Amino acid sequence: MASKVIRRDLLVGAAACAGALATSVNNGLAKTPRTHDIRIKSFEFEPQTITVKVGDTIRWTNEDLAPHTATAVAADWDTGEIVKDDARSIKVTEGMETNYFCAFHPHMKGTIELI
Amino acid sequence: MAHVAYTADNLDIRYAHLALAKSKNPEIHKFAKTMIRDHEAVNEQALALLEKLGVQAQDNFLSQKLNQDGDAIIERFSTLSGAEFDRAYAENELAYHKAVNALVGDVFIPNIENAEVKALFEEGLKIFKAHEAHAEMMVEALN
Repeated sequence: MASKVIRRDLLVGAAACAGALATSVNNGLAKTPRTHDIRIKSFEFEPQTITVKVGDTIRWTNEDLAPHTATAVAADWDTGEIVKDDARSIKVTEGMETNYFCAFHPHMKGTIELI
Repeated sequence: MAHVAYTADNLDIRYAHLALAKSKNPEIHKFAKTMIRDHEAVNEQALALLEKLGVQAQDNFLSQKLNQDGDAIIERFSTLSGAEFDRAYAENELAYHKAVNALVGDVFIPNIENAEVKALFEEGLKIFKAHEAHAEMMVEALN
């Protein structure tokens, strides 16, 4: 008797788990935020243009000897100084400025496409 | 060669400190701060590499000449102020980076045998070329 109860509980538990898993996978496909990597190399952002969604993260890694920044043209976001071999991230938010540059080397420019 | 590059870096840092002290133009300040930041980063790497290789940079006639010319420029700068100083500083930065880049690119790099030293000079040249382009924009904006 006791074993039957346990088995039933187990089955119910397993079904619940499977259901939860399926839900989280479905949600995951639609909503899991991504991290987009941008390399800073030879005074360029690579890639120069990226396509992102709100909630994603953009991570800049500096491979140059010179320190750089990724700074919004409208100044609403800024990674701050990124030294050699260091990385800084920002989270994509609704309505954020999508054009950015390096505050130290203003000819370095990048674009974020929000979809 | 290493001493010349180190001297050239330090000289540009001295010009930048003078600009921070004398100029009131925010664009000049931004540029000068970038010069200090970048040239210090290069010097730090250069010193680390020299130490790793167990060699010392030797003072030589070319670095002495650079310092003498630099002293004369700093003396001239100290007599200028306002927009006159800003223009002189920007023009000097453009001319100075052009001259040093030509020296590093055409004379130094082709004659460096050590791969690590060569890589550092090449990395430095990329930075100084970016500075040259930036100085060019600054000169145009001030004229």
